[in-house]
Amino acid sequence: MKKVSLVLIIAMLVTVIAACSSNSNSPGSNQPSNEPGTASPNPSADPVTLKIVYKDEGTANPVSVKFFETLEKALKEDEGLNVKFELVDLAQGSYAENLNLLLLGGTIPDIIYFQGGDQQISEQGLLEDLTPYIEQSKYVKDIIEPHNATRMASYPYLLWIKPLASKTPVVRADWLNAMDSSKALLADPTIDNYYAFFKELVEKKPGGDKPGYALTAAGDIAEINFIFNSAFGLDTTWLKKEDGTYEYSKVSQNEKEKLAFYNKLYNEGLLDPQFITKQWDTKEDAFYKGDAAVITGTAGKIIDLYDGRMKELNGDGANLVVLPPAKGVAQGFGATDVTKESRGLAISSQSKHKDAAFQVFDYLASPKGQMLDRLGFENEHYTVADGQIELNDKYYSEWYARFWEPLEMKSETPLKTPLLGEPGTSSLQAAADFYTEDNNFIIPEQYIANWDAMNNLYKEYATDFITGKKNLSEFDKFVEAWNAAGGTDITKYANENIK
Amino acid sequence: MKALRRMRQDWVLYAMLALPILYFVIFHVIPLYGMKLAFQDYRILGDHVWVGWKHFNVLFSSPAFASVMQNTIIISLMKIIFVFPIPIALSLLINEVRSSKYRKYVQSVVYLPHFLSWVVIAGIWISLLNPTEGGVNLIGNFFGLPSVDYMTSKDHIRWVFVVSEIWRSAGWDSIIYLAAIMKISPGLYEAAKIDGATRLQQMTFITLPHLYSTIVTVFILNLGFFMNAGFDQVFNFMNDSVISVVDILDTYVYRIGIGNGQFAYATAASLFKGVIGIVLILGTHFISKRISGKGVW
Repeated sequence: MKKVSLVLIIAMLVTVIAACSSNSNSPGSNQPSNEPGTASPNPSADPVTLKIVYKDEGTANPVSVKFFETLEKALKEDEGLNVKFELVDLAQGSYAENLNLLLLGGTIPDIIYFQGGDQQISEQGLLEDLTPYIEQSKYVKDIIEPHNATRMASYPYLLWIKPLASKTPVVRADWLNAMDSSKALLADPTIDNYYAFFKELVEKKPGGDKPGYALTAAGDIAEINFIFNSAFGLDTTWLKKEDGTYEYSKVSQNEKEKLAFYNKLYNEGLLDPQFITKQWDTKEDAFYKGDAAVITGTAGKIIDLYDGRMKELNGDGANLVVLPPAKGVAQGFGATDVTKESRGLAISSQSKHKDAAFQVFDYLASPKGQMLDRLGFENEHYTVADGQIELNDKYYSEWYARFWEPLEMKSETPLKTPLLGEPGTSSLQAAADFYTEDNNFIIPEQYIANWDAMNNLYKEYATDFITGKKNLSEFDKFVEAWNAAGGTDITKYANENIK
Repeated sequence: MKALRRMRQDWVLYAMLALPILYFVIFHVIPLYGMKLAFQDYRILGDHVWVGWKHFNVLFSSPAFASVMQNTIIISLMKIIFVFPIPIALSLLINEVRSSKYRKYVQSVVYLPHFLSWVVIAGIWISLLNPTEGGVNLIGNFFGLPSVDYMTSKDHIRWVFVVSEIWRSAGWDSIIYLAAIMKISPGLYEAAKIDGATRLQQMTFITLPHLYSTIVTVFILNLGFFMNAGFDQVFNFMNDSVISVVDILDTYVYRIGIGNGQFAYATAASLFKGVIGIVLILGTHFISKRISGKGVW
């Protein structure tokens, strides 16, 4: 029996290994030629199939299917481009992980949406440099935002024309107006005026017994930093010292002062005592219920969604007002990372239809393409009456642009109703007004493990300083530990590479 | 030949075995072949590059490695010491419940948490352990104890893992012991009763000794997962305040390996974990064999 079992097991293993080996020819051996993409497909010929992988835009999503079918028709009618989109479905779960597995498994769609994990793929030469396409484009080059242009200059593989995604603070208008300190805050948003406003909110409790605290965040201080970092002089990742050298902002004296301020907010009950264990949903819940008076949200549509939900639960008087960033050493929502897009659309370097793929990108940047992508379907999300476009509730509650969203939309037909509500528009405007570029850089592979350890060290020390578990007199000890964990090397690298 | 004849005789049983074998081949044997990725730099275009021990060297020389290994070992040890015995005790207690209706009710209640995901459990426990409104602290306050922020306390968070793990898995894990108890001959208990044995004595001298081989087998097999320490649980309970005491090998590999698309690095860490698991299983098996004559096989 044992011998038979052994024979069976060996036979099984041999079969398995043989099966695997037969498939072990490298994907590279099957790669298409590296010649540029074919010319535009002839509208009368068979359509060119463009495979596209995009988060949440699979065949199971009827809106996505309709969108891409409508886009196919529009491309044929308006541009004479005969394409057929094939949506690639991914398994449920983390998109970035599943996408990486798809690509590493050798399935490479023509158009790929990335939400992280793209660097590893671009390093293998799998993504097309989009610079020449943009230069020769008809529409894309005109709608590209300044931060997109800078990002494309250093990392030309991902295109993501969207407004700045700063997080901006918001508060209910009825509560803001009920505070004596609000005028001073809006006129001169110093750190002291913010503190006075927070204090008054918690003491006066405009919502009866609410708010319980003035400010909350989801899990860490990153969201709060959008309000205060610049005011404490933390306006770039690497701060230039008087001697001309750079130091990491999180180990600077400015950071220490900021943490002392957060500690004061925490001790006085102005900062949510449970912000460390908050998630994005419990944060928003605390805001809608009035436990927290101020939260930050991504400028634009997200702020509008907060506004709509707040009014739905607490009446029209509870509409949201966007607060300015705190003013101090500087003012702003923090510097924008311009090393690369953190998400965006790429074209595979192995695609046989690179030109057609970019033509799709370019069409979506045109006035007609923008109408489809940004406004949805006629008579479903908007109507045209008296030569004007009127957006309906379905547009505001459901529709979102899958591709490009420049701050200014050029439409052939004028819009009667605005694309965004008042708080959404003003948050985007504020983010654009305070736009500055960061001087950070892409962390080289050899420092990634150390960088992770250093970041964790900072996170733990920072929360301990804020919650009072550690005294701020130990800040120098933190700096020493950070340097020992690899900070010295990365600072040296920064000083050698920041121009 | 004899064996083949017996196989032919019991072909139905062997046919029934085919599907489970197929499952293990597809999900456990074939992936072993992919472990070679731990020694390569994966290339989508062109041939993969053989890099030998590079990924292991990077893993072992990482500044966080010592700390994550320490956390993994401590959390795993705590779970083995404090979580492993609970299902045994629970099965003994359930076995003592005389009313079959009540027993079924108790079994249903203790099995239930097993079907909840760690995301949901984390939400429940974060609320339960809230220092101001959480049930645990409110009860503590009632008895004059001060509030404790368990979720952000470096001294308490590992114990939160242990207790929540017990809450989730003790009931489900007790099934295997209950099944073993059911196999014990009722005649043994009747004889013990006639001899005047109390219920505690019956449990100590009949039930427990009959559970011994099951306990040893489950213990040895559990050791194979020693380096896992519970990724889902730790990932969902982790927060910035306690990273240094809860960051385990799996969460570290997830951030560095999966998060940054470094699959070869993640594979190397996985292989390292697997080797330790095998060493622990074989080591414990042979030690147990030598001491008690019982092992996994």
